[in-house]
Amino acid sequence: MKTEKSGKVQMARVYAPNKKVGWGVYVISGFLILLYLMPIYVMLNQSFRYITDLTPRLYLPEKWTLDNYIQAFHDPNLLNGFKNSIVYVVEVCALEVFLGGLAAYGLARSGGKVSSALRTFNICVMMIPSLSLLVGTYSLMVKFHMINKIWALSLQTAAIGMAGTMFFYTSFIVSIPKDLDQAAAIDGAGILRTFFQIILPQLKPVTVTRLIMIAVGTWNNYAMPTYLLTNTNKATVILTVRKAFYTAYGSVQNVPLACAECAVALAPVILLYLLLQQYIIEGQLDSVSK
Amino acid sequence: MEKRRKWKYLSLCIPAFLLIVIFMIVPLGNAVKVSFYKWNGYSQKMKWIGLENYGSIFTDKVFGRSMMNTFIYGFGSTLFQNIAGLSAALFVNKQFKGRNLVRLILYMPIMISGVIMGAIQYYIFNYDNGVLNNLLNLFGIGNIYWMESGIGSVFIITLINSWQAMGFCMLIYLAGLQNIPKMYEEAALLDGTSRRQIFFKIDLPLLMPAITTAVITNLIGGFKLYDIIVTLTNGGPNRKSLSLSYYISLLYFNDEKAGYSAAVGIALFVIIFIVAVPINQYLRSREVEY
Repeated sequence: MKTEKSGKVQMARVYAPNKKVGWGVYVISGFLILLYLMPIYVMLNQSFRYITDLTPRLYLPEKWTLDNYIQAFHDPNLLNGFKNSIVYVVEVCALEVFLGGLAAYGLARSGGKVSSALRTFNICVMMIPSLSLLVGTYSLMVKFHMINKIWALSLQTAAIGMAGTMFFYTSFIVSIPKDLDQAAAIDGAGILRTFFQIILPQLKPVTVTRLIMIAVGTWNNYAMPTYLLTNTNKATVILTVRKAFYTAYGSVQNVPLACAECAVALAPVILLYLLLQQYIIEGQLDSVSK
Repeated sequence: MEKRRKWKYLSLCIPAFLLIVIFMIVPLGNAVKVSFYKWNGYSQKMKWIGLENYGSIFTDKVFGRSMMNTFIYGFGSTLFQNIAGLSAALFVNKQFKGRNLVRLILYMPIMISGVIMGAIQYYIFNYDNGVLNNLLNLFGIGNIYWMESGIGSVFIITLINSWQAMGFCMLIYLAGLQNIPKMYEEAALLDGTSRRQIFFKIDLPLLMPAITTAVITNLIGGFKLYDIIVTLTNGGPNRKSLSLSYYISLLYFNDEKAGYSAAVGIALFVIIFIVAVPINQYLRSREVEY
């Protein structure tokens, strides 16, 4: 893979007619970076202000302060939100990767009419907008006392993402040689053991990519959690931050505090993104070219 | 023996499909059932009214408006994202220092929750002390009321959604561009083909699979748009920037029209299906083998 890529790069260097890069490229790059970092700048800029600071939002604060962050870290709701979000994310990730991966393995290896019918079913399921299920899900969950239960929301979220995860895994499992399974079978390994000890390790790199995508999507999930987790004790980080902005609209306009909470909530995601960028970007590139 | 093994493999799918059936298919069936009733969402009383809820879809002005908006969010975002994404991919596919940084930053907003993004962007497009108006003031232009009208709000929501999710298209096209064998371009260059011709006659047709993936993903994503609207305009002014997804939740929890909300949900699913499937078929038929 590596050598192939560097080979391509060299060829591009040899044959590209305009290999000298002008300053224009850097002007465009600079502009794009500014355009894409603008919201982060606005958020951070707000979060270091006093509530009374009315200087235009484009400019730096009149007087800097860390009060908003201190207040945010002392907000029990935000810390509790972090705890809830982590539980929620871990549950969804585990469910989707194990059950989705296992099902994808079954679909890829069994072949035949049933398997292809199930795959078509999956593609149809992927098109169902989750809000179309709002009335159906909410009224059923009320009936079975599953409101304000994080595990119930996790099951629901995992179910929504399951078809996508299966679809994603199937394309990779197809490319793993069947000889591996047969060798394991001859050694007396059952199907489940073959999956966990032979197939899953083979899927490690794509699983990392998929895990990150599921984790980020779950962490950011908003629509269903708002309605299924109505209790403040059960709120996720995103719900808590949303509430901070909501009160900002109404009575006390504490935008700086809301922005500080926002920054605290975003920090883990951005940090994760910067640390795992190679898995996210290269992983996406690889999964697309499949 | 072979057959038994096949069913053993298929049995691995049971947990995943059980989850899908319980949390997607059953709620969908429940939604279809509720859509034939007049129901406020919590009382014991449900009145059978047949197809009346589906009939009121055609006379409801807010539904018409929301449907039009949903189409704008879907097709508008798809158009913007694909043009911007392809341009960005061509740009970061050049050899220059810092291209990885540009790629990293252009993809970053995808990691950020739509609700939080909407909340921050609100302070950019705000009339009073919004960052965009601050910038315009620098050039001596007075404040502009960006989100005064429904059309303005819809346009800004489309723009922000495209801006935020553009990185996905960029990565898909980047992967596509890197998969095109360099020899085609070399051969064309030897024949004296111009750069522009190479792009339109070689790169673009070979990018068709990437275009299919990008267009379908963006379309479905745009049709399901929900998060950004919540915090940016809250559907306003006067419910003129609603998407169908958001309208569904308002109908259920604000207007207490659960039956009608369920009918709108089913309509949204049908609309997505009717739009996405033929476009997918058409794009697939344009893909070339090489």
